[in-house]
Amino acid sequence: MISSLQEDLESKFKDVEVRVLEQNRISVLVPGDSIPVILRYLKESGLNHLALISCVDWIEQEKLEVVYVLTSYMPNDTEHGPEQRLHVLLKTRIPREDAQVKSAIAVFENAEPYERELHELYGVNFEGHPRLIPLFLEREYEIPPFRKDFDMRKYVEDTFGSIPSVDG
Amino acid sequence: MRGTAVMAQLSETASTDSERELELYFGPQHLGMVGNFSITLKVRGDRVLKATANPGYLHRGFEKLMEQRTWIQNFPLVCRVNVIEPDSMEWVYARAVEKLTGIEVPERAHYIRSIFLELARVASHLFGLWAYSNMLGFDTPAQWAMYHRDLVLDLFEELTGGRVYHIYIWPGGVRRDFPKGFKERVVETLHSIGRCVPDYDSTFFNNRLFYERARGIGGISQQEAKALGATGQVLRATGMKFDIRKVEPYAAYDKVDWEVPTREDGDAYSRIWVVRDEMIESVHMIFKLLDAMPEGEVFNRGPNPFKWEIPRGETYVRCESSRGELGLYLVSDGGDKPYRVHFRTPSYPHGLTILEKALEGASIADVGNTMISLYVVAPEIDR
Repeated sequence: MISSLQEDLESKFKDVEVRVLEQNRISVLVPGDSIPVILRYLKESGLNHLALISCVDWIEQEKLEVVYVLTSYMPNDTEHGPEQRLHVLLKTRIPREDAQVKSAIAVFENAEPYERELHELYGVNFEGHPRLIPLFLEREYEIPPFRKDFDMRKYVEDTFGSIPSVDG
Repeated sequence: MRGTAVMAQLSETASTDSERELELYFGPQHLGMVGNFSITLKVRGDRVLKATANPGYLHRGFEKLMEQRTWIQNFPLVCRVNVIEPDSMEWVYARAVEKLTGIEVPERAHYIRSIFLELARVASHLFGLWAYSNMLGFDTPAQWAMYHRDLVLDLFEELTGGRVYHIYIWPGGVRRDFPKGFKERVVETLHSIGRCVPDYDSTFFNNRLFYERARGIGGISQQEAKALGATGQVLRATGMKFDIRKVEPYAAYDKVDWEVPTREDGDAYSRIWVVRDEMIESVHMIFKLLDAMPEGEVFNRGPNPFKWEIPRGETYVRCESSRGELGLYLVSDGGDKPYRVHFRTPSYPHGLTILEKALEGASIADVGNTMISLYVVAPEIDR
């Protein structure tokens, strides 16, 4: 399954880099604008459960890495072959300064809150998302707070470090 | 729901007299709301036209905090992500660290972990049952469930020293072996809870009022559930046998026989029945695991945890918590602290996407019913 999936991905799409992490776990690195197409392809080939969308800030390389974790809903009551236990980490690397990815909502409906969360915490802009409004936070931040250059201690000191005056 | 909506605020958004659309804030302080969470409802009459979930009241930024602390220091944070069932959180974090470093776990520790996680599931389901039956006005079974949960917490206290947060599962095994006579006390406690199942059934599960109140509420089809990322009871109540303990067996779940209970209708009634059946299945599983448990070590002593440096790498680990698929995406850059931690919690899709979908067209009186039957734990969403 892994080798055929690898061949298929590499022959059908440009600039795809497949890496085997361990048994039944692969990571697939693709360019940002082909995310929805590849997600749809993987969904149709059986990886029909989008478990998570995450993001990692690789600040030294000035890249944000958006990660889609894909697994399968197993069919009822069958013996599960190893190929059905496949986990795919689909990734794309985008510049930190201009973080744009196409939204995956058309393929996986449950991508909606994950994309909102990453927009809020990492400043990733998901093109085509219907409501990129804050999910958790209520304050405005200059730097999205989960990025590595957001200084948490300084922020806490500046925001909560002193007792506000009663008159103020 | 009892004494509904005193705290709701109304604000007008349109003004044709009989068919006015109103915006109604449900929660965070509300009798039918569990935990700090709120829903904005757009209603006409008492029908919900559109529901918008507002999480964030419990956002503590744990994932960011964990990047500033060493691997071992993170255990007290990890278990606080889900207040109701911290043990799956511990397991998933310990397992991810074990995977990245290649630490092995002794056989007996696998069994103890499974038993411990199943006890946690029983306690968590009893808590869930308290929340649900209390919300419907069944005070008596609610109080029983709370009392029975406390009996399980007594077991935890004896084993780990803590009632709610245990920090018992560590990379390399578990913190300590069962004390003398503990096995017998587990059996005794579970029997004393099990003897009350007929009482629970006659007062609650087979009660006509429960049937009338829960039947057809918050229903979703299997197809919708899969499209929206549902797992756990929400998915199993639609007839799909999907349980990570079966799909990707971990700890000692493949060592004994057990069943995955399901129901067909996908509504609140089915979900709560799945919870009940699962609890009973868990108790049976604990008995089997206790019988099959081998002797031996429970912890593989590794290098000094205060000086851990975890090899560079990434992993996605998942388990079946009492609410569904609990996953952890963990990235290490080779340092003494995690580089990125991201929990995939089951309540996240259940409480945001699925809740919004299930509430469309519901009556205001069923909002709390739908939400609690979806088994949402707010701290798990916000993290």
